[in-house]
Amino acid sequence: MKHSPKIIPDTLKFLTAVSSSEYSGPTLKMGSLIASVFDADLGVVYVGEKANEFHGSSVNLTRHNLDNWNIIHPGLETLKWALKELQTYAPENKALGGIKFNSDHVYEEDGRVRVLLPEEKGGRIELILREGELVDQLRKEIQLEGYDLAIIGGSKNKRHLAHSIIQYLPSSVLVLQKFKPRKQYKLLLLVDDSQATRKSVAWGALIAEKLDWPVRTLTVSKTRHFGPGYQGAADQAKAYFESRNIEVEQFFLTGDPVNTFAEFAGDDHMIIMGASTLNPIKQLLFGSKPIKTLARTDVPILIIR
Amino acid sequence: MNIYVDILFWIRQKKWLLVALIYGMVMHHGVTPPADLNPAAYDALIIISMALILIITEPLPLPAIAIFMLFMQVVLGIDTANNVASSFMNDAVFFIMGSLMLAVAIVSQGLDKRLALGIIKLTGHQTWRIVAGFTAISAILASFIGEHTVAAMMMPVGLTLVRYAHKDPRKVAGLTAALLFSIAYGATIGSIGTPSGGGRNVIMLNYLTEFGAGSVSYLEWMKYVYPMVLFQIPFTVMIILWTFKPEQSNLDTAVRKLVVEVARAGKIKGREWLAIILFALVFLGWVFLSEDFGLGIIALVGVFLYLAFGLVEWNELNRKTNWGVILLFGAAISIGIQMNQTGAAEWVAGVIINNLSRVIHSPEVLTGSVSVLLTGFMSNILSSSATVAVVGPIVLDLGGDKILIGFTTAIASAFGYFTAVAAPACTIIYSSGLVRSKDFLRAGWKMGILSILSLLGLALFWWPVLR
Repeated sequence: MKHSPKIIPDTLKFLTAVSSSEYSGPTLKMGSLIASVFDADLGVVYVGEKANEFHGSSVNLTRHNLDNWNIIHPGLETLKWALKELQTYAPENKALGGIKFNSDHVYEEDGRVRVLLPEEKGGRIELILREGELVDQLRKEIQLEGYDLAIIGGSKNKRHLAHSIIQYLPSSVLVLQKFKPRKQYKLLLLVDDSQATRKSVAWGALIAEKLDWPVRTLTVSKTRHFGPGYQGAADQAKAYFESRNIEVEQFFLTGDPVNTFAEFAGDDHMIIMGASTLNPIKQLLFGSKPIKTLARTDVPILIIR
Repeated sequence: MNIYVDILFWIRQKKWLLVALIYGMVMHHGVTPPADLNPAAYDALIIISMALILIITEPLPLPAIAIFMLFMQVVLGIDTANNVASSFMNDAVFFIMGSLMLAVAIVSQGLDKRLALGIIKLTGHQTWRIVAGFTAISAILASFIGEHTVAAMMMPVGLTLVRYAHKDPRKVAGLTAALLFSIAYGATIGSIGTPSGGGRNVIMLNYLTEFGAGSVSYLEWMKYVYPMVLFQIPFTVMIILWTFKPEQSNLDTAVRKLVVEVARAGKIKGREWLAIILFALVFLGWVFLSEDFGLGIIALVGVFLYLAFGLVEWNELNRKTNWGVILLFGAAISIGIQMNQTGAAEWVAGVIINNLSRVIHSPEVLTGSVSVLLTGFMSNILSSSATVAVVGPIVLDLGGDKILIGFTTAIASAFGYFTAVAAPACTIIYSSGLVRSKDFLRAGWKMGILSILSLLGLALFWWPVLR
């Protein structure tokens, strides 16, 4: 298995969603780390609640007036914090360090507000403010800018959100459930005979290399028999990791796939799995492995599309 | 495959539009109207209930809902296109348009800095006095210039004090909530005081005239309602301080820093005086000329004067005015008028009275409680002005003194203390991100009880003196 441009494009764009300085620190940190692993451009988006439309103009009028008092939109405050955090995560990045946040340098376009950063320094960072429903706004942003991966924090309303995020976001998704930046995770790669497995292996290898995390591949069959497709995919994955000197262990288990994934993952793995190839209507009605796995587990999970 | 995902996503986002359309089709084609309700009235009720579903769930932008309400009246044959067009634009809509534009014109003058100094001079540095000052000034100003204008001007003052009191507003959550709620609740209790306090008051005045209940002058409205504003101010202050318990009892440093910041604006300038004089003229026009010219026309004269004297640019007015809301109120009032003309409002009122009269025997109590509870409840899920536009025609047909019912409904529409959606001032403080939904509930139930008791007192003891 080669790391070909078809599996992982040369230029990648990742999007990290932040909600506040209080809760989004780990998400932003991992977003920054993953972006550096893949040498990707990084967008940081704040999605805030949209004011009731009846009073929208009064809210806007107030915000314009608050600008005169140098009090900025709470979303811009969060983006200002995010830029500062990104600078502390990568102190060696001189270009990033030189960027100063200026709340006057914002531009409204395509139903969002973009913070303008100096092109030569901040060309690889985007700071975006959006207002509205989270999944709708993330989907719009991903479609507009062609992001390859969306990175979001875990949510209290997990079951409902898991379904919408996985079904409707048109990119790969990393959901950082109960993510602890200092914790030493193992990568748990779910392997089957689908096309998405090849891509998952390539993404997993890059992450494992950079973060120095050991890899475990897990293949689950409902019966005791593992067909040649499953066996072949698992062996190919193992060989690929070994060819890159990544520590890898291989597991074959029998049982219900989602329960087995969840039990095996425990609380010290980050799961990587391919997106479902099921018909979207079937996914909506019956769910899919990624949707159910996200709903059942409490560890970070990367779903590759 | 992607096209299926797109279709499913569209269905997810627009499910309430589909629900409203299916409901409308089933009601129109599949259900036989009650025998005592004529077909046009039945269709008017279908349109209004579909519009309510759409307004509450927001699957469409407001202007789209407004357009839907207008064309459906013609498509279902309730009225001709010309009649619908003429019912769409009236003085209440002019007032809402004028008041939104006046808000932009006034706020852009920077008078908030003068206001901040004035309040601080009055109140001093103690927190409870500042909360009291914010509440009283917001209430009194909002009663004349509208709560959205006052909240837009007071918010920077409140947030600046919070910022100077502590670097992290979350560490002084009680103080933050107390200051912001004193602006929001102050402006909300004040908005009932005069017709110009809120668009809903003017919508009600318009219905009273339209439905032949007679006209009410600006001063008459004040005579009936203003005592309630004044009565509620001290109790609102107590409720806010009791609920939010500010962490600092003295804002000495914060006030000093605020005064320094505000003092940079220098002495009051000629331009600011002109802005104040023009608003005073508009106010005098509302008091003395509104019966002849209408509140809306006078508001528009004010906008004209601000533009003519170059105090505001048209581009700014155009950019900051929500034309969609104006369209929606035009459409809501239009369907409200159809509800009256087709007899739909009378039929709904009859159903309510027939059902509730078994439980409540006194007609006055029944009418009063229906108008207060229905309006108060709807305001908290819809918006205060939209509630009056929709509920107004029904409550005016409940029986009893239409003018008093009109006052009761307009007052009750300001009881939107429980959520951030009801009143513009509440939405404005919520948009700061520093108060939470549950803060509205914590203080809202106390405010609700205060307002219902105050209204009861007004109706039982003050209005009989005036009638």
